[in-house]
Amino acid sequence: MNRQDKSLVLVWVALLLLLAASAGSALLRLGAWNSVLNLAVAAVKAALVLLFFMRLRASHKLLRLAALSAFATLAVLFGLASSDYATRTVYPAPLQTPRQLAPHALPLQ
Amino acid sequence: MEAPVAAHFASRAQQALAATFGMWVFLATEALLFGPLFFGYLYVRTHFPEAAGAASRHTDLVLGTLNTATLISASLCMALAAQPQRRARSAAWLLWASAALGLAFLAIKGLEYRHEFAAQLFPDRGFAPADAGAPAHAHGMQLFFVLYFAMTALHALHLAVGVAACLVVARALRRGRARAEQVELAGLYWHFVDVLWIFLYPLLYLVERA
Repeated sequence: MNRQDKSLVLVWVALLLLLAASAGSALLRLGAWNSVLNLAVAAVKAALVLLFFMRLRASHKLLRLAALSAFATLAVLFGLASSDYATRTVYPAPLQTPRQLAPHALPLQ
Repeated sequence: MEAPVAAHFASRAQQALAATFGMWVFLATEALLFGPLFFGYLYVRTHFPEAAGAASRHTDLVLGTLNTATLISASLCMALAAQPQRRARSAAWLLWASAALGLAFLAIKGLEYRHEFAAQLFPDRGFAPADAGAPAHAHGMQLFFVLYFAMTALHALHLAVGVAACLVVARALRRGRARAEQVELAGLYWHFVDVLWIFLYPLLYLVERA
């Protein structure tokens, strides 16, 4: 096994340890910190896959730019869409039936 | 086998870079395909926080964790196969290994789906989890499961395409017809599907477990 293979196997071990950490921490009562911790671990795992398995660490700038553009576009769209949901009241449309407005308030037919 | 260089490329390296760049652009559009589902998830988590937790506790933590490990291991096989000095024969074996792990993932996912259908967690008219509670709470749980099934099914579809790509490239490698670039491209796609699952796992399986 050469050096490059070894580093890939080490990344795999790190990913499995992080997986164990996130599954384990989910069983502790940490309140909102559970989600923060789990997402932080997921971000680190994704970064490991992107940098080592997908080789962004040592790849052409053009490829890194393409990867970055996905995250940047998603961030812009998430920002715009959440500003909409955060600042508006949802009014029912006139064509919505009572079941659509309160799906579980009525008995099933 | 040496790849033929098309007339509009100066060198083989440039052609390989163009192919890899094309795959990255495709993967960026794939991220945008999944984006709205992740945004829908953000909406459900912020508007129905308790229901999302209650729904998430219905998912199978053990099988979900096992599946994450399966997919990460499959990614390792793909990454090893795409190493530049790898011989075609061993690369083909590694591709078969990751295809097998991908199929194992799909089988486990199918088992989970079966349990969830049996527990009436599929968000159709028969949706009736044991702890449905008040109508608004049950509605929030149902929305969570709409996203759970949509996200995992779209992910499984992508994984099935990844398995097919693995098998096609492995077959071509054995016949001496595949090129290093093809292993690289199949690998990139596979790792993307892996990254998606890395985010789906905590979002769907680990909400308010304690």
